[in-house]
Amino acid sequence: MPAASAIKVMVVDDQASMRAMIRRALQDLGFKDVRDKAGPVEALSAVRSDRVHLIISDYNMPDMDGLQFLEQVRKDPVIGKTVFIMLTGSADKEIVQKAAALGVNNYVVKPFAPAALKEKIERVFGELT
Amino acid sequence: MKRLPIIQGEYQVVAEPDVMITTLLGSCIAVCLQDRLAKVGGMNHFLLAEPSGGRQLSAADMQCYGIHAMELLINEMMKRGAIRSRMSAQLYGGANVVSGLGAPIGTNNAAFARRFLEVEGIAVGHTDVGGRQARKVEFLPYLGKARCTYVGDAAPVAPPMPVAAVAGGDLELF
Repeated sequence: MPAASAIKVMVVDDQASMRAMIRRALQDLGFKDVRDKAGPVEALSAVRSDRVHLIISDYNMPDMDGLQFLEQVRKDPVIGKTVFIMLTGSADKEIVQKAAALGVNNYVVKPFAPAALKEKIERVFGELT
Repeated sequence: MKRLPIIQGEYQVVAEPDVMITTLLGSCIAVCLQDRLAKVGGMNHFLLAEPSGGRQLSAADMQCYGIHAMELLINEMMKRGAIRSRMSAQLYGGANVVSGLGAPIGTNNAAFARRFLEVEGIAVGHTDVGGRQARKVEFLPYLGKARCTYVGDAAPVAPPMPVAAVAGGDLELF
């Protein structure tokens, strides 16, 4: 069982309040190393220079959407295998299918409770301690 | 004039003239947003500010929370051509219509909405929050004009049942 405290996380969402809420939820789940960025461009730069184990990214962002971000991550020879969980709107099944084709590890439908986020992370990493 | 009434957990975004979004508020909050240049406006109606840590909630319950309600409204406005940095807000509701229930929900909701708009860098214009009376809000999104009138005397507004959860997360890929 992996320790949540050993998993480094990057949260990417253009909405500062949503980033703060996800950070708090992750910290409540025991994650210690949680970084965040407002957009994929800054996040790509940050995780290339200081790698993380898990990227949690919104889909709906103005400059580069979550699918384009995922594609960039998967194409990268260094960070390409980073676990990627996408946050999507409730009616975005088509987006989820596209994300699956691009190699997303899991997805969480907004709005979500912290328990739902935990469950989706555990489906990838196993039960967290 | 076309009228679009909303209840808690709902929002509407409009980019055409002669449309009015309306709602009835007690302790809930309605945020009216407008981008004057794009002539796009919208209003939401949410019940509580934020979910508490360990509480299990349905998707329908969560739609009533402010942080999600705000994101849905902002995203839809951006889809219609609005730009976040040009948005301005008007804020209504947050009355403490029922006393003696512990934490003042209306006050907390209004505080959340102000904090959210400040964190997101959205300018706040006219605000009418607090007190003990229910409010009726009528918003003209195209013009960015809102009218807020009081309803009755400290009359609690019975919150309607949350709408049925939109099917979400039922795509079994993982």
